[in-house]
Amino acid sequence: MTLFKVENIQKRFGSRVVLENISLSVEEGTVHGIMGPNGAGKTTCFHVLTGFYAPDAGRITFEGHDIAGRKPHQIARLGISRSFQIMNLFDDTVVIENVILALPEFRSRSFNVTQNVFDDTALVDRALEVLDQVGLADRAWQKAAALSYGNRRALEIAVALAADPRIVFLDEPTSGLGAEATRRLMDLIRSLRETYTIVMIEHDMRFLFELADTISVIHWGQVIAEDTPAALRANKWVARSTLGDVA
Amino acid sequence: MTGMLEVRNLEKIYTKSRLDRTPAFRLSADFRIDTPGVVGMMGPNGSGKTTLFELITGSNVPTSGEVLVAGRNIHKIRTDQRDRLAIHYHQSYQVRHFRSFKPNMLMEPARSDYPLLHLFDEPQFNTQDGYIGFMLDFFRKLRAEGRLVFLCVHPNERFHLEIVQEVCESFIFVEKGTVTPFADYQTLLAHEPAQAYLGDLLTERAA
Repeated sequence: MTLFKVENIQKRFGSRVVLENISLSVEEGTVHGIMGPNGAGKTTCFHVLTGFYAPDAGRITFEGHDIAGRKPHQIARLGISRSFQIMNLFDDTVVIENVILALPEFRSRSFNVTQNVFDDTALVDRALEVLDQVGLADRAWQKAAALSYGNRRALEIAVALAADPRIVFLDEPTSGLGAEATRRLMDLIRSLRETYTIVMIEHDMRFLFELADTISVIHWGQVIAEDTPAALRANKWVARSTLGDVA
Repeated sequence: MTGMLEVRNLEKIYTKSRLDRTPAFRLSADFRIDTPGVVGMMGPNGSGKTTLFELITGSNVPTSGEVLVAGRNIHKIRTDQRDRLAIHYHQSYQVRHFRSFKPNMLMEPARSDYPLLHLFDEPQFNTQDGYIGFMLDFFRKLRAEGRLVFLCVHPNERFHLEIVQEVCESFIFVEKGTVTPFADYQTLLAHEPAQAYLGDLLTERAA
């Protein structure tokens, strides 16, 4: 079933067309990869899909609802979560608090400064559950600032998962990660695909080709190719590139 | 009959300065293309390739002559809609501004959602990442959808010639402001200035 569908999106900044004609369709329970050279429009595309920018033309539908032009918080409430290329964490707080603050149960509560969030066992338990999904349950009470870069990335994903989304958008999850952390992130995303539909921008093509069911190649603000990793790899220029070595 | 692109007695003259009107550079072009396709454009640096792209897409004003895209004079179209007829994909990410003395409300609308002409100005080709294959497929897709693609390449590696041979069916060679069309790769190679320009790359191929 198509969970998320984008049809002929256009986005201009002044006289410049940044997204010309983006269409893509994400099937439920799959990992949909987006790749493209620097400046191709990938992040702008994410911003439009998750409501940070309104498109100038085109349709975006999620479970049949037209969401083009809706605000980010309205889109989030429908079950669409995202992470950012640049991490947004509260470093001075403990790991679990980052997740608690993102839980819908917490957000819907009226704000009470006298009450300690950690006294609410339901919130803490739910946050621990989310942290467990990304392998950080045993670090729940550490300062977020003390986490390794790879674990910070995992925590960012946990923050995105806290909203209990149907679909998660990840913007370059491997950026800044070393080889070992990238391998662990690959295992993490593999485990998440059981539960969530994932759309992922990624520069690391080996990573993307390993994980994605379908890949859209974006360049010049347009989808210049879209297929399964196996079919994309069959292209003779891909076979000649370093990607050709990917098993 | 209306061609997809008609470049009629087009001339762009840059003078030495406002006071000294001696021409410093003169670009002349006169050709037409009637069918969809992928046209390779080559020529030395400073020969006028980018200027020609700018004149065709209407971001640069000709000294004389005209450019018709599907029969419509690009310089009479609203500046904010010219890229709906012909779009210039710039080198790196430079943005050019459209200049016009006439307000847009007095000019013609483009009446098109997606450009008919796509002009790619020295796109980055890198054999490492595999994108070349997707880019070439995209050019073919545009052609199959009835569009006209210009691919400006400044070959300095052998694979650049492989690319143009693989995807371009006709060519335009620009040298010192002179624009010469060629029906295919063989006739381009028979042209002496083109041979001289590609020199080393061609001999390497023979070797």
